[in-house]
Amino acid sequence: MTAIDTGPVPLRATPLGRIRKDYFSSPLSTAVSLLCFGLLLWIGWVLLDWGVLRATFSAEARQAECRAAGGACWSVIANRWRLILFGLYPYEEQWRSALACIAVIATMVLSCIPFLWTGKRIASVWALGFATFYLLMKGGLLGLPLVREEQWGGLALTLFIFTATAIIGMPLAIAFALLRNSTLPWIARTTGAVIDAVRSLPLISILFTCAIVLPFVLPDFVLQEKLYRVIAGSALFFAAYQAEIIRGGMQGVAKGQDEAAMSLGIPYRHRVARILLPQAFRNALPATINQFVITFMETSLVVVVGFFELLSSANAAFGTSEWTFAFVEVYVFVAFLYFIFVFGLSRYGAFLERRMATGQR
Amino acid sequence: MTSILKTAVLAGGFVLSAVSAQAASETLKTVQERGALNCPGHTGSYLGFAEVDDKGNWKGLDVDLCRAVATAIFGDPSALKIIPLSWAQRWPSLQSGDVDIIIKASGGTLSRDTELGLQFSNSYYLGTTKVMAHKELGLTSLADADGGTICIPAGASQERQVASYAERLGITLETVAIEKTEELEDAYFSGRCDLYAQWGPVLAIARSVSENPDEHVLLDDVLAVEPEVMIVRQGDDEWLDIANWTLSVLLFAEQEGVTSENVDEMKANPPSNEVAKMLGATPGMGTPLGLPDDWAYNVIKKVGNYSEIFERSLGQDSPYKMPRELTALWNQGGVLFPFVID
Repeated sequence: MTAIDTGPVPLRATPLGRIRKDYFSSPLSTAVSLLCFGLLLWIGWVLLDWGVLRATFSAEARQAECRAAGGACWSVIANRWRLILFGLYPYEEQWRSALACIAVIATMVLSCIPFLWTGKRIASVWALGFATFYLLMKGGLLGLPLVREEQWGGLALTLFIFTATAIIGMPLAIAFALLRNSTLPWIARTTGAVIDAVRSLPLISILFTCAIVLPFVLPDFVLQEKLYRVIAGSALFFAAYQAEIIRGGMQGVAKGQDEAAMSLGIPYRHRVARILLPQAFRNALPATINQFVITFMETSLVVVVGFFELLSSANAAFGTSEWTFAFVEVYVFVAFLYFIFVFGLSRYGAFLERRMATGQR
Repeated sequence: MTSILKTAVLAGGFVLSAVSAQAASETLKTVQERGALNCPGHTGSYLGFAEVDDKGNWKGLDVDLCRAVATAIFGDPSALKIIPLSWAQRWPSLQSGDVDIIIKASGGTLSRDTELGLQFSNSYYLGTTKVMAHKELGLTSLADADGGTICIPAGASQERQVASYAERLGITLETVAIEKTEELEDAYFSGRCDLYAQWGPVLAIARSVSENPDEHVLLDDVLAVEPEVMIVRQGDDEWLDIANWTLSVLLFAEQEGVTSENVDEMKANPPSNEVAKMLGATPGMGTPLGLPDDWAYNVIKKVGNYSEIFERSLGQDSPYKMPRELTALWNQGGVLFPFVID
């Protein structure tokens, strides 16, 4: 951000002078500043004291040692981290689950590199990353023992549900958005009705229906694994919201552009892929990132249909006689994991916005 | 949210019980073809009944009963697939065939029996609603607690049980209802409530893992009793028989002193005709149930009798040290009993 100069240029303020001007310009401002700083310092101190200074880190420590130390008991993480990260995945095979998580995170990082930002490149990076993830998790090939989806758990499952939802949901959302903008009224209206219907249902009931009610109505060969039904439901939900976000972005693109392109005889697919969508995505970027963040958080809802994702494996981690007292530490650890991903996601969003904004100047 | 789920479950149960009833008589065959029994676990952990150890293995009373049924069928406790289920998911998952049996600290109730189209085994556990109090208050029974503050799980049956029990005693209690168990227990242990009403095992476990178990007492009052049962789909009587007889064998073995350690000796020199028949030393135990004759021997040998299961999950060999109380055998002051092996 650059400041706009309106008056005579002030003398360059020293850091100390700026602090005085910003926070201590009047008695009231001084009092409020001191109070807030004091409060922040106090909170910071309490957290530091609890989380680090008086905390217990040793894996051998149990309740008694932790209580004696008086701070956080990170021993629970030292003992149960594999359960939190990998859930009920077979213990000897958990290295695969770890590699799979790394593969997906690497894919996410790779997709931040502008060099890969063409449709084909980004699609192949994701196809490769996702295939690696799936192969490692499921096995049954290359001498890896088969691990069925119902044994997946923890962070790996959360990542799988999130990425699969995004990968299926995004193209579906684009299709919904385009169909809703169709010039044929019955297509536009039907799509609109579908989107509105999905949006008017709570996600939890969609998941419950997909996981538990569908087996009553559909024959077995349609059903497949419960996990995929749940992902399908969650992708549909994601698509309904994301479609509206994209449509909002499309409305920001001047109609004249499309008409101009039409008059030049540019075919529909190019008008959509090269003119409409890139601008629509740029317009819709903040809302899209928001939607991704929400989707990541909402993966924890699959707990109601019996999946052992991050939050339920955390629950299992402190759900044993030795560790029931340490639930705060486990929740803090899980919150930290969520934070890393969501914070990364929003920084990535901010980076994209800055980059795309350069094209607009 | 819970009520939406409950409605969905009820509706699902209504419509679909008819559909699954025809398929259900095949449960044993389905299980044998699959090669494993599908039994419910928990999304997370339910202390003492279904917990996960450091390596991701399930343990607990409910899980061991699942192991016993799996062993009865396959002679192998590992022929078991534990499927994590949330509470709301229990009945639809049973109806749709995701699991073959529900052993998940669930009581037998009228609506489950009739409206949901389910069927119960005999009770394997008597769950009582009890009250814990801070010892320094010097209470011996709830009648002395007039005017006290009581923590209860929000939206659970304990709310109603506490209200009606207090009314019967003619005392008033100020209730603090909290939904999440960790928060609820924190409220009690931090002294916000004088009393804490909860399903007995949860209460006893909360006390045993607390900082100073000796500072808390369980009052003698029993506010309500809920018999926990194994639950199957209605209409497959033979399948229910297997569940019932597995439980009966566990109890009969305890009553006759047959344990996983002395079972071989007992089989070689059976003290009675009944024990001989149970362990398959004389024929006739398996065929009527569609199982091998030594199924009960396998169960005792590989899983243990009821007492062994209880003690390692909840009792003296566990960290919780819970007494058997009502869940003891009839000859030890409890209400459990085996059926007669003739």
